[in-house]
Amino acid sequence: MSSLKDMLGWVRGLELVKRGAESEIRLGFFMGIPAIFKLRVPKPYMHPRLADILISQRTRKEAKVIAYALKHGIPAPRLLAVLPSIGLIVMEYVQGVTLKDYAYRDPRGALLYSRIAGSILGRLHEVGVAHGDPTTSNYIVSSDGGLKLIDYGLSDFTEDVEDKAVDVHLYRRAVESTHASIAAGMFEAFLEGYKGVLGGEALKVIERAEEIRLRGRYVEERRRSVWRALG
Amino acid sequence: MLGVESTAHSFGVSVVSDSPPYILSDSRRVYTPREGGILPREVAAFFSRVAGEVVREALESAGVRIGDVDAIAVALGPGMGPQLRVGATVARALASYYSKPLVPVNHAVAHVEIARFLTGLRDPIVLYVAGGNTAVVSYSEGRYRVFGETLDMPLGNLLDTFAREVGIAPPYVVGGMHAVDRCAEGGDFIEGLPYIVKGQDSSFSGLLTAALRMVRSGVRLADVCYTLREIAYSSVVEVLERGLAHTGRREVLLTGGVAASKILNDKIEAMARLHGAVYKPIPARYAGDNGVMIAVTGMAAYKWGYTIEVSRAFIRQRWRIDQVDVPWYYEFP
Repeated sequence: MSSLKDMLGWVRGLELVKRGAESEIRLGFFMGIPAIFKLRVPKPYMHPRLADILISQRTRKEAKVIAYALKHGIPAPRLLAVLPSIGLIVMEYVQGVTLKDYAYRDPRGALLYSRIAGSILGRLHEVGVAHGDPTTSNYIVSSDGGLKLIDYGLSDFTEDVEDKAVDVHLYRRAVESTHASIAAGMFEAFLEGYKGVLGGEALKVIERAEEIRLRGRYVEERRRSVWRALG
Repeated sequence: MLGVESTAHSFGVSVVSDSPPYILSDSRRVYTPREGGILPREVAAFFSRVAGEVVREALESAGVRIGDVDAIAVALGPGMGPQLRVGATVARALASYYSKPLVPVNHAVAHVEIARFLTGLRDPIVLYVAGGNTAVVSYSEGRYRVFGETLDMPLGNLLDTFAREVGIAPPYVVGGMHAVDRCAEGGDFIEGLPYIVKGQDSSFSGLLTAALRMVRSGVRLADVCYTLREIAYSSVVEVLERGLAHTGRREVLLTGGVAASKILNDKIEAMARLHGAVYKPIPARYAGDNGVMIAVTGMAAYKWGYTIEVSRAFIRQRWRIDQVDVPWYYEFP
């Protein structure tokens, strides 16, 4: 246990690059490899035991999804170490720029990458995983020219059309809000890539994504019981 | 403006004005069942009996005559049909007999608006938790949009049903404290109950079933109450936290019947502090259903020209918050 604590202390000393709602992202080296240290931190508003249980469950789940995705040839970051008890996942650091930043620099190239982004999401959906947050900030154009999808923190195993449609909708919203001038082209290219993988199956999802856009929200369709009143 | 609320277990009538002190009166009667849950028809019968005296009391304590009132606002939904019909009938009668404009108000929108009105927070992310509703909403492009919600039962319903099933309620709330809160005192966190947050949504039906099973198998009731509450509250605060991060809002509000809970308030305050956001609690009196929130919202709607013909003022039991235009959002109150 004390060695885990030492590990935690050491990780906390690494350079903090991002503090999200779910975790802290730090940068360092793991056995000589440039690595991302993703550390889930306890929520101050939860009972410590509950916080611990959730951290451990979610760390395990995220690692499981990444391993599963890699096994199916989806370009996710390679796993280097997983320590559920302290909420730590160590992953290969994917060197490169986010597709979001890349699109500002090279709009034409971004169309090509957007198509690849669509095919990556299509493959993920094909094997039964919804990403949960596939925005242009989570696609990395790596220095060798490849494209990787990162951050599986909200991912889940699912065959639900709604879950998959939410992914498609989130990508659309990301390009519309950050790359307005090329948004239409980027989303179109994304859908081509997506349909290229899933074929006819893709249409159901795309149709549902359009419905989600029209309802102005992107969560599970409101169930009737939500508005059912007391008792 | 006179507002009438009758969506669930409270019949409330209030008179408000558009200048300080704003709230001129706030009369209400709350139906409390002797046993079991709320039977809509019984509540409606109770509302019918008290409606007259509540209206009279609201006018008298405000020191106004019905003739001085500019318009009548009424909550037409969402809520339970039989109760909604009583409020709607009262409001329609007042409007037509005294020739006053009738203003339709959405009960859920009114919960958010009263919280904005009382705290002065202008552009918050809002957790709306009550017996019949649990949702995280924020304003975007003309309406309140739902960021996340419960996939099955509302949080208040979870607490009430659990309390009733294990025999610690009714009464559900005594001295502002829910039976589950009272029962949780002296309890400890125990493992084995499910915590379900899927993306932006919570789910409570599995939690209810597992908690009841635990009680039946002999686990200490205080521990189950404590853990049930801890899981339920934590999960809605986590959805709220995701909404806060996602929308980039700087203000947080809590409204609805369950908003009276001190424990839930503490959790939200801790969450807001973590993200450097402002949180202001609303007085417990205005957390639950009341006529003031209908009158205050009705006043804004009326200023923007929203009225409805008496003959077309139908109740809408499943009227969603994101079906209502809120053009007054930035100029409220």
